[in-house]
Amino acid sequence: MMNEWIPLMVVIPMLCAVIVSAFNKWSKPIKILVVIVAICIPIIPLIAQYGIHYFGGYAPMIDTVTGILYHPSITYIFNILQKIFIFVLGIVTFLVVFIYVNKYKKASGQYLFLIFMGTSSATALLLTDDIFNMFVFFEILALVQVGIVAASRLEGNFEMALRYLILGAIGSPIMLLGIGFLLATTGSVNITDIVSAIQNATISVKSPIFLMSCGLIFFGWLYASGLPPFHTIKSGIYSKAEPHAAALLQCFTVISMISILLIMYRIFHVVEFFELLVVIFSAIAMILGITLALTQTDFRRMIGFLAVGELGFIGLGIGLYTQFAITAGLFQALNEMIITALLFLGFGAIVYTTGETDTRKLGGLLQYHPKVGLMILLGGLAMAGVPPLNGFRSKLMLIQASLSCGYPELSLLAIIVSIATFVVFVKMFYTIFLRPKPKELEISKNDLPRSMIFAMGILLIMIVVIGICPNIVTYGISQYVGGILL
Amino acid sequence: MKLYDKFFNVAKRFKQIFTSGSVTNSEVSGILTAELLLIVSIILLVVLIRHVNILLCGVMTLLVAIILIANMPLIPKFKVEQEDSLNKMLFYSIITLSIIIIFIYWGGNFV
Amino acid sequence: MAYTQLAVLLTSGLLVIIGLFAAIFIDNIIKKVIGISFIEEGVNLFIIAIGYKTGGVVPILIPGMDKSWFATNAAYPLPFGLVLSSIVIGASSLAVMFAIVMVLYKKYGTLKTSVMLADHSHGSVNDE
Repeated sequence: MMNEWIPLMVVIPMLCAVIVSAFNKWSKPIKILVVIVAICIPIIPLIAQYGIHYFGGYAPMIDTVTGILYHPSITYIFNILQKIFIFVLGIVTFLVVFIYVNKYKKASGQYLFLIFMGTSSATALLLTDDIFNMFVFFEILALVQVGIVAASRLEGNFEMALRYLILGAIGSPIMLLGIGFLLATTGSVNITDIVSAIQNATISVKSPIFLMSCGLIFFGWLYASGLPPFHTIKSGIYSKAEPHAAALLQCFTVISMISILLIMYRIFHVVEFFELLVVIFSAIAMILGITLALTQTDFRRMIGFLAVGELGFIGLGIGLYTQFAITAGLFQALNEMIITALLFLGFGAIVYTTGETDTRKLGGLLQYHPKVGLMILLGGLAMAGVPPLNGFRSKLMLIQASLSCGYPELSLLAIIVSIATFVVFVKMFYTIFLRPKPKELEISKNDLPRSMIFAMGILLIMIVVIGICPNIVTYGISQYVGGILL
Repeated sequence: MKLYDKFFNVAKRFKQIFTSGSVTNSEVSGILTAELLLIVSIILLVVLIRHVNILLCGVMTLLVAIILIANMPLIPKFKVEQEDSLNKMLFYSIITLSIIIIFIYWGGNFV
Repeated sequence: MAYTQLAVLLTSGLLVIIGLFAAIFIDNIIKKVIGISFIEEGVNLFIIAIGYKTGGVVPILIPGMDKSWFATNAAYPLPFGLVLSSIVIGASSLAVMFAIVMVLYKKYGTLKTSVMLADHSHGSVNDE
């Protein structure tokens, strides 16, 4: 009975999205509604029990002829991993909605529609056990991201949105083609059924159709997660969205990356070279992301590339495919969601006060906004992996994992990239906060909204708490990985 | 001396192409770090070949290192390829798609 | 495999290839978008073709029909259900694409992708 909460995690934000976009005119009631729903989103996964939900109530059936169990309906699985990630996603959504509602006098229903729709589809991606359902929400998420970028009033946002959409319109049919191949070989879109068909050797692992579908879905995953060759467009998307929305966009990216990757692992880990491909693409993402971040002058773009580089760490951990390594990768994913959200919000505060994003024209902001400076400093240190913050914990785990798997090169690479991340961050912090203020720079709005400071404070508390006692997260993730994936 | 000059040219060349106006210290340090990072990390990636064949790994590492250092101002060339134009993005994504398909299809069949 | 199914599969493959060609090589943004919709339709056609069955009937169980006969003769219904949602998604992304193209056409006054979606962040690199 309690498992009715599972579909509600998706339905409540979606319903809220539809309502706010329909009643766009009433600004005040909409604001109250969205704040209430945004508070509910992180609470629901905490009170819901673990379990499985079959839509329409069609429980799995046993085929009387072949004796195989199959799932006739869309299935949602809720477990500790989903709980942790939906909770963090809910927190970030709440903070973003809170900032938005405080920042603008008149709330735009359409914009809030996009935010809630994105949260709802990211949640569904985490929960779903149905590969076509995954594809549908993956597409909705892509459209939502385009919408959020197009709604920002920044220079060049429409160009970036159209680029993302065109690349997506090539990437997603290719992914759908892969799903079609899987459907053709197994006759099912339920992942558990597909996995059992592979284990029972009903389909050959070496059949060309199966291998082809692996490659095609892999390409779709690259698009969804913004690994190379999509790293430029992904960082562009972050830099052309409003900063608080960018904080949410990177959460969507991380969630779609890990959820699709875990699904692919369950199906395709039997394919030769699959793990190697994941590791190689992640390593390239790390290198390209950080290298390009070092050469940027626009600080939003810089964080965008840093975020893409951090995605490489996640892929590296999950790609090594041991229990410890996958735990490390998922833990890194969680940490990245929190840290990057903090950085985007913090630099959003700088955009808010100065209206400037070029690092060459900024400087001396520490005396105006010491609180923001301190919080950004801590966030950057966490991203670079400085103890005792959470980034340190996950990166240490990753390095240990790659050492114990017999790949010291990858550990070295991870360390070098972490150091380069630190360089990017120190450079950015120096040019924005420490060096003397250029004469041309005008601080137009000196008072920051309280909501921004509040949001950053909450995220910072999470960073420190997870950094000091990582066991609250890693123990659960490790159990999930050991019990379900391997 | 020559290598040092080459290394110093990186920032100059980058400035010529991408940035207008004065170049600050932090920018130069960022570009130089990027150059070093690129070389070192690509060589590290090549070292991964040792899981296939140690001799091949040695030859490849030397070869890649020589190629990278000989073409020293890497970052300007590299950044031109990573710009925001749709045509370049499409080109690289299609190349990647074909590489993935070839890799998985042949790798899965013949190993 | 029946010839009908083979013909449909070949058509879908052709649509995807034509679409990819248009999306990569044609400079006009409208034609590019049309090419992209070709890819989507090709994939949809492919998924429909999976459910084909020689001499099959429409998978709707009419009262009075023999159930075991229906089970062996009906076409596979799942692909049709999937394609419906896929078409809806494709149509909505097409609409969004054209909407943004309209905005950009007003801004640039041209439909050339090489002008509209080139990198505007720095000056002409290729002159070097």
